[in-house]
Amino acid sequence: MRVIKRYRIHMGTFAWILHRLSGLGLISYLLLHIWVISHLSGGERSFDGIMHSFGSPMFKLMEIGLVGVILFHLFNGLRVTLIDMGVMVEKQKTLFVIAVIIWLGTWFAFSAIMLSKMGLLPFTV
Amino acid sequence: MAMITFKINRYNPDDEKRGHFVQEYQIDVPKGYTLLDCLNDIKWKLDGTLTYRRSCRSGICGSCAMTINGVNNLACETQVLGLNCSTVTVEPLRGYPVVKDLAVSLDPIVRGLLAVKPYLMTKTPPPTDQERLQSPEEREKLDGLYECILCGSCTSSCPSFWADKEYIGPHALLKAYRFVADSRDECPGEHLEPIDDKHGLWRCHTIFNCVEACPKDLNPTKAIAELKKELIRGKLG
Repeated sequence: MRVIKRYRIHMGTFAWILHRLSGLGLISYLLLHIWVISHLSGGERSFDGIMHSFGSPMFKLMEIGLVGVILFHLFNGLRVTLIDMGVMVEKQKTLFVIAVIIWLGTWFAFSAIMLSKMGLLPFTV
Repeated sequence: MAMITFKINRYNPDDEKRGHFVQEYQIDVPKGYTLLDCLNDIKWKLDGTLTYRRSCRSGICGSCAMTINGVNNLACETQVLGLNCSTVTVEPLRGYPVVKDLAVSLDPIVRGLLAVKPYLMTKTPPPTDQERLQSPEEREKLDGLYECILCGSCTSSCPSFWADKEYIGPHALLKAYRFVADSRDECPGEHLEPIDDKHGLWRCHTIFNCVEACPKDLNPTKAIAELKKELIRGKLG
């Protein structure tokens, strides 16, 4: 018979898991970034070559995802900093909701600007 | 009255071959029955081998803390019909070594507790004509800190503790702050020094599981935030 082993997730745990995952995402991006930049040592040709392959629309769309990850890590990180300073500790769930609202708002704005620059929006932002 | 199925995690140290397993019991639960009442019913009427800790049955002793439907709570404070489900899973507090069935070894929480020197420490001799007095305002600062019943629910719910068994745990940090915040305690450094460590205060990642789990509605994370401030203030001058 299966032995039950699961602890119920609530908002604080959820925020923590997302923070860790977004942190891992940022580290992965940073490593990729360093790898790409390291092509500079191979000369102009090598760098242009790698930049060209990252210029595809798919990577451009992934950049929007990257901005989302950065912004989440930023605003939840500010929430954690406030909590560490003893501010609104009892209201950590409200604080998370506020962080998520600011995150989604800024992400939406950034996405609109980026999509508009790619010419994927019928209007300019 | 409703028929409720209890899925209870069982373990008998004398039957290592069988290891941990889940056993189901069905009983009629009348209105007002707590989980502890149900466990008593099962033990007394269905299976005398079921093992769990209990003592005061009124939320003061902290003996009957267990994981109920995936959340730590006291069995004696859990209204079974209030859970609004026909199947209730009952597991021993996780993170601690299981002694038998729902009884766990609380050695890890005692270890954490002793590390923070959980008693009033003074340098000056006590007054001869009276006790060490506090103003009502000074006393009020201890509200939400002194009520801990050491049931172990918080530390058992903490992912940091699951990953680091040397972590002294939220219960010990709450207790440390209870004495740091006490106006009569003259040696706050004695409580702070042992927790200024990677297995101490800094292991808390503000996950808030401890706050969710505490059956007395205390807030260890808030105490931890205050302790962080105390430590940093001390380091910066």
